[in-house]
Amino acid sequence: MLVSGIVSRPKYEPFALDPSGRSHLIVADHPAPPGDFGPTPASNAPIEIWCVCTNPRTTAEASQNGRAVSRSFRSTAHLLDQLDKRLARELVGLRIYAVGIESFVWDVARLARKFGMEKGEYRLTHKGSERRRVYCIHCRAYTEDVTTNIVSCSGCGASLLVRDHYSRRLAAFMGVQVDAEVPGDVPAIEEAFP
Amino acid sequence: MSGPKLNLRVRSIEPLSPLLKRFELEMADGGEVPPFGPGAHLRFNLQGDHQRWKNAYSLVTPPTERRRYAVIVRRVEHSRGGSAFMHETVKPGQILEASVPANLFPVSQIARKHLLISGGIGITPFLSYLAAFKSKAAGYELHHFCRAKEAEIFGHLLRDHESSRIHIHAGTEFNLSSVLSSQPLGTHLYTCGPEGLMDLVLDTARTHGWPASKLHSESFGSAHMGGAPFIAILKRSGAEIAVREDQTLLEAIEEAGFEPTNLCRGGACGECLTRVLEGEPEHRDHYLDEGERASNCSIMICVSRAKTNRIVLDL
Repeated sequence: MLVSGIVSRPKYEPFALDPSGRSHLIVADHPAPPGDFGPTPASNAPIEIWCVCTNPRTTAEASQNGRAVSRSFRSTAHLLDQLDKRLARELVGLRIYAVGIESFVWDVARLARKFGMEKGEYRLTHKGSERRRVYCIHCRAYTEDVTTNIVSCSGCGASLLVRDHYSRRLAAFMGVQVDAEVPGDVPAIEEAFP
Repeated sequence: MSGPKLNLRVRSIEPLSPLLKRFELEMADGGEVPPFGPGAHLRFNLQGDHQRWKNAYSLVTPPTERRRYAVIVRRVEHSRGGSAFMHETVKPGQILEASVPANLFPVSQIARKHLLISGGIGITPFLSYLAAFKSKAAGYELHHFCRAKEAEIFGHLLRDHESSRIHIHAGTEFNLSSVLSSQPLGTHLYTCGPEGLMDLVLDTARTHGWPASKLHSESFGSAHMGGAPFIAILKRSGAEIAVREDQTLLEAIEEAGFEPTNLCRGGACGECLTRVLEGEPEHRDHYLDEGERASNCSIMICVSRAKTNRIVLDL
């Protein structure tokens, strides 16, 4: 319903380091980011891995590759906050790789663009849940971690149909009131984005 | 040449050095000049007694200036005569025909800083950049390379801009790698000048991880001139055109009375892409990719020539 034929929906690349980069920063919203860096990048290019580890005991697992320096964060919010500060003093030649759910990787993309990085300087890899961040086109509130085709808006409470229409700028899928024409006529709610 | 033409009256000519002259131009009808963005150029149709030239010169006036244009022309030795014509024949009051400004070297609107590297007369597009940066308070850094005896002239051209951002290198030591490896994220790099300088700057930038989207260059096309003579056949009209060693394929076609679509005349913009029906092109452009070059199906007639004695074009 209302979700067919949207071809603008982002597609993601498998994780691989870009050998043209002079330094690499991998950020992941989960404790075990990819350890296989693909084709070996320039030998002296530093590699850093940032990941989110809610359980501090798993931190050690992040150091899978001898070349990479790793650092763990308590939450994605904590990681993104530090990333903002880091990018402010970074130099041209950096490549950033975001690995995680869609809302996370696009939050990273948004930060990268804020500091003037362009396509080709950041790479996004979708890993994990399909759950969505939904933007209410009526009240502009965001509803996080949506797994169902219809969700109650966190801002205005409207029943929002979750479309496949994705905004890269807002890093969210568009939610449209499903019973706007016939109030109360809400179709069955189903698990759609596990 | 496509697009509307402008009739421009030469308002004044100021010699900046024995080889450099600055020409101020205004609309012959007294109106405002058409607007342009930083980095734009004018292409003049210069009509000599026995020869025509189509020479492009970067606009050096601030883009907000609508009463007049200005260009700076370097007299090129061993050139085909367009710059000598500008230096010796053109006089104040004379009307010159030019195309409306075109811009193949615009400023990035999303850059957070602009790094400019120029050599010699390659400074000219950056003069309009600097005027635009001034009004927007954009961050920039300029490195200009020139001969020691011209350092003062270029210093004078740049006198209205913040001296802390402007570095004139006249034979002094300069570490390009350290400049290109220490630029903040979001910096865009622009280079204009002799081919050797631009190649060095762009190659060094790539080795320091600069992505293609942040690299911008504009060449004068002078490196493309000349080569062995050959015959071009225009399939549609059947015309057979002898391309001399001192002219480009496009110039020879124009001399024969045809007007193929073209814009930059430097192998950069892609406008003059022409299908090759027979023969093998000698590619000299920056537009076609390796696969397109190898296929021998297309040629940029503004700069490229023929390896074979004869080439048949879909024109």
